[in-house]
Formats: sequence, C-alpha cells, structure tokens
Amino acid sequence: MGFRPMLSSLMRNKTGPLLVALQVAVTLAIVINSLFIVIQRIEKMNRETGMDVNNVVVAYVRGFGEDFDTVSSIRNDLDLIKAIPGVITATISNHVPLSGSGSGTGLRTVADEAIEPTSTARYRWDENGLDSLGIKLDRGRNFYPEEINDYLPTTNLPAPASILVTQELADALFPDEEALGKTVYWGSMEPSTIVGIIGHMHGSWVNWDKLGHVVVQPGRPAYTTNKYIIRTEPGMRDELMPIIEQKLGEANQRRVIKSVETLEEMAASSYRRDRGMAIILVLVITLLVGLTALVLVGLSSFNVTQRTKQIGTRRALGASRLDIIRQFILENWVITTAGAIIGCALTVAIAYWLEVSFETPRLDWRFLPTGIVALWLLSTLAVFVPARRAAGIPPAVATRTV
Amino acid sequence: MFRYNIKLALRSMRRNPIMTTLMIAAIAVGIGVSMTTLTVHYMMSGNPIPQKSDVLFAITLDSWNPLRPFDDDRPERAPHQLTYADAERLVNLAEGKRQTAMFETSLIIEPENAGELPFEVGARAATSDFFAMFNVPFLYGSGWDQGADTAAATVAVLTRQLNERLFGGENSVGRELLIQDRRFRVVGVADTWEPVPRFYDPINGGFQEVQDMFIPFNLTRELELGSAGSDWGWKSEDIETFEQWLNSESVWVQYFVELDSPRGREAYIEHLDAYVEGQKQLGRFERPMNNNIYDVMEWMEYHEVVSNDSKVLVGLSFMFLLVCILSTIALLLTKFVGKKGEVSLRRALGADRRTIFRQQIVEVAVIGVAGGLIGLGLAMLGLKGIIALYEPPPGLARLDWVMTATAIGLSVASGILAGLYPAWRVCQIPPASQLKTL
Repeated sequence: MGFRPMLSSLMRNKTGPLLVALQVAVTLAIVINSLFIVIQRIEKMNRETGMDVNNVVVAYVRGFGEDFDTVSSIRNDLDLIKAIPGVITATISNHVPLSGSGSGTGLRTVADEAIEPTSTARYRWDENGLDSLGIKLDRGRNFYPEEINDYLPTTNLPAPASILVTQELADALFPDEEALGKTVYWGSMEPSTIVGIIGHMHGSWVNWDKLGHVVVQPGRPAYTTNKYIIRTEPGMRDELMPIIEQKLGEANQRRVIKSVETLEEMAASSYRRDRGMAIILVLVITLLVGLTALVLVGLSSFNVTQRTKQIGTRRALGASRLDIIRQFILENWVITTAGAIIGCALTVAIAYWLEVSFETPRLDWRFLPTGIVALWLLSTLAVFVPARRAAGIPPAVATRTV
Repeated sequence: MFRYNIKLALRSMRRNPIMTTLMIAAIAVGIGVSMTTLTVHYMMSGNPIPQKSDVLFAITLDSWNPLRPFDDDRPERAPHQLTYADAERLVNLAEGKRQTAMFETSLIIEPENAGELPFEVGARAATSDFFAMFNVPFLYGSGWDQGADTAAATVAVLTRQLNERLFGGENSVGRELLIQDRRFRVVGVADTWEPVPRFYDPINGGFQEVQDMFIPFNLTRELELGSAGSDWGWKSEDIETFEQWLNSESVWVQYFVELDSPRGREAYIEHLDAYVEGQKQLGRFERPMNNNIYDVMEWMEYHEVVSNDSKVLVGLSFMFLLVCILSTIALLLTKFVGKKGEVSLRRALGADRRTIFRQQIVEVAVIGVAGGLIGLGLAMLGLKGIIALYEPPPGLARLDWVMTATAIGLSVASGILAGLYPAWRVCQIPPASQLKTL
C-alpha cells in the first residue's frame, strides 16, 4: 500500500497537480536565480576596502572671490582640523576613494606609446594620506614631507619622482617581478619610481573591475573644491563632524562648506543600486515563497475536505493514521519532485538568459541541490498539517455520508 | 442577469473565504510586484521628448588618440563628448536649425547682505538655442537671445526650485545675482521641467535632476568655468593657462543639434566630415573619419540608460506574476471540484453551458478586479519603496495613467486567463451526474 492509490488519485485529476508542479518549478527558478544575485551583491558590498571606512570623515569646501588664496587656506584648514582633539590626522586629496568621483590614468612599464597602458585610479595626497584613510603600507616607504608640492589647476610640474601603488596594480604592471623600486611611465612618458606598495585599497568606482588598481602621487591639490579626508579616533566620528564643520566655517567667510560626510555614507551611496537590488530581490523571494507555501497549504486543506469520504473509507477498511499521512506526503512529494525537475531546467534557462544578456557571473551549481532540498522541506511542512488533520478523520464519518 | 451573476459570485466567494482570500492575494501580490518594476522600467525607457526625439541629435567626432580608439570594447565609437574648441566652432558654423554646446558646472551665489550665507548651485553652461530645442517651459521671462551668446552676457535662467529658494517664487526677471564678483541678471525662470531620462546629458547621469540654473556657454572663457561633469583626455599637453585648456584635446563638452527633419541626417554628417577635414589639414583628428549623430532614443540606447538591474527585475517579476496566475488556476480548479453538485443542479434545472460559463467568468473577474485594485495599491507602496531605496529624480517612480490602465488591464487579463480553463472544466459537468450524491 502506498504508491499505487496515491498515483491513481493523482492521475484521475492530472491538471491540478500539474499546475502545482509548474508553480513549484517557476518558484524554484525565480528563487534560486534571485538568491544568487542577492548573494553576489552582498559579497560585492562586503569586499575588504583596505581602509578604516568607519572612522573617516570627508569635508568638501570651496572658496570664492578673486582674492581667495587656496594654497594657504588648505594649510590653515589642515592645521585646524588636526588640532581638534580626537582627530588622528587629515590630508587633502584630489578625490575620495569609494565616492564614485575620481581620476583615472594609464601606466606603462616601458616608455612606448604603442604599448597598451594599464588603467588605474589616481590619487594625489600628502604624507598623511595613508594614515588619514587607515591604509596599510605593505612594504617600501610613505612619501616624505619634502616631496609634497602644491598643485594649482595651472601647475605644470614634472611627474613626481616617487609614487605608491597597490599590490593589485603592481601585479598587473609587473606580473612576475617585485614592483618596489621599479620605474613606470605616465601618458606623457615621464617616469616615476615606485617607492611603496599598498597591500590593498579600493579606488573610486565600485563598479569598475579594476577597483583595486590605485596609484598615488605626492602633493596637495589646490583646485576649486578642496576635499579633506579626516580620520578620527574610533567612536569619535559622529561627535566630531559638527565640530569640524563649525571650525571650517569660522575659519573663512569667503567660502562654502559644501558637505561634511562620513566615508561610510559615501560608500553606501556608491553601492545604492546593489543594495536596492538585493533588498528588492529578498522581498520578492519572501513574497514568492510565502505565497507558494500558502497556496500549497490551501490546496491540500481543500483536498482533505474534498476527500473526507475517501479517507474515511480507507480508514474503515483498515488503513492506519500513518498510512493516511504517508499518502498525502507521498502525493506531495511526487508533485514537488516533478516540479523540481522542471524547475531545474527552468533555473538553468533563466541563469543562461541572465548570463548572456547581462553578463552576470555563471550560476553556482550548488544552488540547485540546496534549492531543491529547501523546497522539499517547505512543501512537506506545508502539507503536513492538513495531512495530520486528514488522518484524524474517524472511519465512522465515511459510513455516515455515503 | 448580471447582478444575479455577481450575487452568486460573491456568495460562492464567501463560501470559501480562505481560498478566495488566497486567490485575491495571489493576484494582488503578482500585480503589485510586476507593476512596480514595470513602472520603473517604463519610465527609464520612456521617450523624454516624443514631439522632437527624431530631429534632435547628439553628435560625436573622432578626435581621439591615433594609436587606439576611445573605447577599447567598442572601437567603432568616437568619444561621446567634444573638445571645447570644436564645440565652439561648430556652434558658430550654425549648420543645423538650432544647436547647443553645453556642459555641467557649479557656481557660488554670493550673499548681497551681511549675515546671509553663500551657497553653491549646479549650473549648465549652454548656448541660447538650448531652451527652444528642448522645449523648456517658462514660468517667467524666457531664455537669452543670440546677442547674449555673442556678448557673453552675464544672464541666467533659473529653475523653479532655485527661484523659490532665492526669490520666494516671485517673478524674478530683471533681478540680479552676485556670482564670481559679477552681477548676473535673471532673464527667465523655467517652469517645472523634469525630463526622464535627462536625455541631454546621459553621460553625467540619465536620472539626475535638472541643474539649478543655466548660463551662456560663452562665459566659460571669461569666468574660467570648470566642468563639473566628466572629462576625458588622451594627449599629454602642457597646460598652464585656461586658454590652453580650452584648446586642448580633452573632451568635455556635449553637443546637440536640431535638424528640420530626420532626413537631414546624412547631410549633417557630411557637414561634420567637412569640418573635420579642415581640422585634419591643421594636423588634428589623426584617426580615420568617424563622425556620427544619434537621435534622442539612439543616444539613450548608446549610453545604456535603462539599467540591467531594471530589466532583470522586470523579467523576474513577470515570472512571479506567472506563479500567481498558476496558483489562481490551481485554486480555482480545486474549488470548482467542490461546485460539482451546485453546477449539476443548475444544469438539471435548465441552465445551459453558456450560463454556467458566464457565472464562472464573472466570479473570476470579480477576483481579478479585487486583486488588481489591491495590487495597484501595493504597486504604489512598492514605488514608495523604490524612491526610498534609490532616491531617483521626481518622475521616475510615478504611476501615470498609462501604467494605471496597464495595471488594471493586466489584472483583469490575469484573472480571465486564470479562470478560462477552470470555467471550461466546470461546464463539462453533465447535468444530474452529481445529483444522486446530494
């Protein structure tokens, strides 16, 4: 007893079970592919940045008026910020990592324009730059204070003698050699020497596949908007922000404090699309799984009511409660398994569509068995309660209604 | 008869409240999810200026590095922006019906009175044709004229929001603003203008708000305006003065032309080729001739303005809707099994198949409409969620009448689609077959 009566009752009414199997299949395909995207986005957002993101404040200020002296204003501002208790150190930078706004360039290992350059993000900051972002130098040295020059928009100094690069950029430039001490060439074919290697840090554009490519030049960029990167003692960031804003505001009336933001907020806004996508998909998955589970419960409860007589008759003829539960679970198992098989094909089809049309990474095959097991557990759970109720139908009910 | 159908439908729905709730919920959630993603996609891929999108063209000139293309992945493409000098010369040649050279910048509005604070505004430097070309609506005044272009006059057009902030929303035409130690005269205030996508500048973001104000392009030289948008360079040039920067090979100026008709396209490209030929004589433009123009929708396609995420979400959410429809069919089928007795009785009493069929369809339509209405509410909620998540410009996540009609149509269609087969099945029940069990 078991399979035969269950199968025959399924076959008597094929459309209903087939629909449920299809529903389960599409659910599986959507859930697996969505979950895969969600996990990718979460991994992307949680990548190690190489920076002390949580303790960094970024201030943008802009002076105005013909007589505004940007160079001395920057010096004053940095002295003022560094003097605030709780501030570890500060620098001025041409751009802010993770902010979405940056400068890119190409480097070569030979001074030959015909050779394809290696692209990288480029920063320019002073000797406190590394410390201001909490970046660790792996080997070599940081900039010396005497290497730091002021760069006005019209400054046309030769390329700096010393630069820092990330390990990732070093590996791209010199695949099998130690990059420290090597010479690289800018677009102008001017040389610079790599004096230090940064273990790891992220550049400006979080969606760029070369996010870990960074080169740093020594200098104090004195452009229209001055971007200060300030690192605070752990936990002091939020209380220091209004103080920094106030002090900067008081220091000079001929300028605008454009923003005082945390690096954390800037990074979050760079990742907004990924975060949004992950949240939407999690919501879709929840709704979908919830709906499918409810429908399964609803259908099997209705089935139980419909089949009261049949169950009663079987009970009267000697079937145990366990037999009845087993019948419902088995029935459900056949439907879910059929659904899972169609679902696998559908999942792969959707994954293929995503991969071809949107260049998403290939679906990890391990998601399939995991999804099927989860689906099986869920559907068993959904059918168990009504099945138990069915088993509780006393045999006498059958005789009463026939 | 119809009222009787409805009455029966409601009674039948009440008999199985859980099933009915599930069906309505399934349709509601399916419509809610798919309409949310569809609305965003529809807005993203919409035509921002349908009246003129086929006569407005963005232009590209291949002034890039002779050794490699601007975009390695798409070597056929020229840079998507122009050098300042090329843009300036093309505007002066005025070959199109209208043309504008433009870029994003930012300015500081200085306080006139002690105690007021200076603040920064986003501005777009453009030539006078901008307003007429792009159908910018005006609340007060108008754009500046070509005389102001030529004279590099310090005039400005404000957006409604900036006018609100600076002048409390009153007619500010003729009022003055202090910017970079110069007095700017307000000549016009634009009315609410929210093109979605912001088609004239997808490079710096197709879904951003329109800049706070507009000023003449020719002020660039005098005010030494820098670009707040993206700039791209390939040539290593010694730049010590602003004039050298303006004459450099860096591309950072966007250029649109309006032609009399879409047919003028070939002739205009010939004009560009002739211009580039002249520049080639001077030793510039060393790459093969590769100039192009793109109408508005082609330009949106070029910049892939519709995000892949949005497309994926639309795809997935319509599969979600499919699950919802499948659920509804399964639920209806199961439910109709329980109706055998009633249907047999009605058939035995003389109802024909059509009557029974109509009864079932009415019931399904009621469920579809109820689900659709709740779904519409859910979609509005969903769009609120999208706004919270992405902070898009106004206009992107809004249910307009097209989308509302689509939602209602979609839910009724889903309901009918779900109901057809079960209704047909019910009609097959022979009269009296079930009566003996009653």
